[in-house]
Amino acid sequence: MDFSSLTDALSSQNYAKIPDICETLMLQVAAQGIAFQDDWPYAIHLLGHIYVNDINSARFLWKTIPVAIKESRPEVAAAWKIGQNLWTRDYAGVHDAIHEFNWSPEAHCIVAAFSELYTKRMFDLLVSAYSTISIQDAALFLGMNEDDATNLGRGACRHSLVRD
Amino acid sequence: MNLNASTNSVEALVAKIQGLSGGTARDLAHLHSLLKESEDLLVSSDSTRPSPASFLSELDPSKHSLGYLYFLEASTSRPISKEGSGEVALSISRFIDACKADQIRLAPDKFISVCRRFKDQVLLAEAPIRGVAPMLIAVRKLQISSEQLTPLHPDFLLLCLLAKCYKTGLSVLEDYIYEVDQPRDFFLYCYYGGMICIGQKQFRKASELLHNVVTAPMSTINAIAVEAYKKYILVSLIYAGQFSTSFPKYTSSVAQRNLKNFSQPYLDLAISYSTGKISELESCVQMHKEKFEADNNLGVVKQVVSSMYKRNIQRLTQTYLTLSLEDIANSVELKSSKEAEMHVLQMIQDGEIYATINQKDGMVRFLEDPEQYKTCQMIEHIDSSIQRIMALSKKLSAMDEHISCDPLYLAKVGRERHRFDFEDFDSVPQKLNM
Repeated sequence: MDFSSLTDALSSQNYAKIPDICETLMLQVAAQGIAFQDDWPYAIHLLGHIYVNDINSARFLWKTIPVAIKESRPEVAAAWKIGQNLWTRDYAGVHDAIHEFNWSPEAHCIVAAFSELYTKRMFDLLVSAYSTISIQDAALFLGMNEDDATNLGRGACRHSLVRD
Repeated sequence: MNLNASTNSVEALVAKIQGLSGGTARDLAHLHSLLKESEDLLVSSDSTRPSPASFLSELDPSKHSLGYLYFLEASTSRPISKEGSGEVALSISRFIDACKADQIRLAPDKFISVCRRFKDQVLLAEAPIRGVAPMLIAVRKLQISSEQLTPLHPDFLLLCLLAKCYKTGLSVLEDYIYEVDQPRDFFLYCYYGGMICIGQKQFRKASELLHNVVTAPMSTINAIAVEAYKKYILVSLIYAGQFSTSFPKYTSSVAQRNLKNFSQPYLDLAISYSTGKISELESCVQMHKEKFEADNNLGVVKQVVSSMYKRNIQRLTQTYLTLSLEDIANSVELKSSKEAEMHVLQMIQDGEIYATINQKDGMVRFLEDPEQYKTCQMIEHIDSSIQRIMALSKKLSAMDEHISCDPLYLAKVGRERHRFDFEDFDSVPQKLNM
């Protein structure tokens, strides 16, 4: 299986392309009748869908992964945990899922990039959705401790954060 | 003697294929008639004769596509063991990839038959994902234009559903279909297409596709329409928040009379949805849970329930400018104001509501839709919609003209017009009331 386009995308940090590259490659390889499941980079594939916020596709991919692989490859399960928390909108749980696992070097870059993207997305959401919010909640949603959250809040001068 | 003679004829046929395939259109037509005449030669259950498969190595699927197709079809018509299924599937998938579209379009039925066998083998091997990419290629090669619905469309969508490759299936659903040959293809295409759209949460498109199944002309009730109607009810509730049991005028009388008889639990669900009360809805779901599960619709039913929370919150925005989280929780039957806050936050995230939450006071302030319709994006969107509608309008006019010249139509209209000839009408009233 020729993963060169995938490794190129990873090394050039073009993470948004990963889902399409993986899907196309998977269908091609499957069409050739190759039993690809054992060697397939499911963790990266899942993280690719998560990066572009396509949780639907991540869910369907998770459903097709053989049980044996789900049980024997903890990184795959850890990648799905992020997706699962995104799906159930457990905003704080996403941060926990990101930080509680010891990611491989390959996965680490894309997880770090997603974490940054997600924190920014959550920040934008909080700024537009809340006129006031407690520091605890803000810290939870942003995956930070309360001091960092307060500093971030002061930076966004349109809104005031209120201590509970 | 006979064996030698037939082998020789087959070899002669192979030679003809090799010779004529690269030629002119007339050469191809000649080859096609030769192949049609030699069908009996190829399809023989006599095991002493060499199988057509053995001749395949002498043909190149990319150059001799038509001839290869005939031989492939003949060789796969024999029963295949489960062990052999992998190889057969592979050989067909390679053919689909390599073949020339203009050659296989000369024998569409054979191509469809081979592709369907491929689908059967892939399903037998319990690996539907193996069929997705080849079947998509097959659909595109068989189609004369993207507006044509081929018999392979539903097979492709079925493979996508089974392999959970919903996004790939969507790519085919984006084409607008204007030509349909077989009604059954259309029913299945719209039904499977509806299911794919539901999976991708594109409920508007799902609703359109399922609507097409329910209202399509049919002379007898069919199972596809029955299942489609059930999903149609659910999707209408999610997308439009309501469901009307009256059918549009163009629905067949068969559908109008029979469809409701098979979907009583779903109609009950629609009635409880219209009360706007979560408790009523949930008890209805509980009552019919087994039926929904048996129909594989429980997942969608759960989405119907979540949509009611959203709809009830949205309805509040029409009455209130600000409302406390606690009042929202009570009104919408949520357990706590924190739950209400999360619901509102999710709806803000999804763009389903415009509001700001004031956590300190526990209040939500509802806002107007900030869309001003002034951005470049919006103008492009409106412009492309106008272009699309103009193109559709032209298509409709062309269809209308085409039908008005259709002999069947004219015959029917002529018969009816006869009853109302000019002489039949009195041009003056019978009585004048002064």
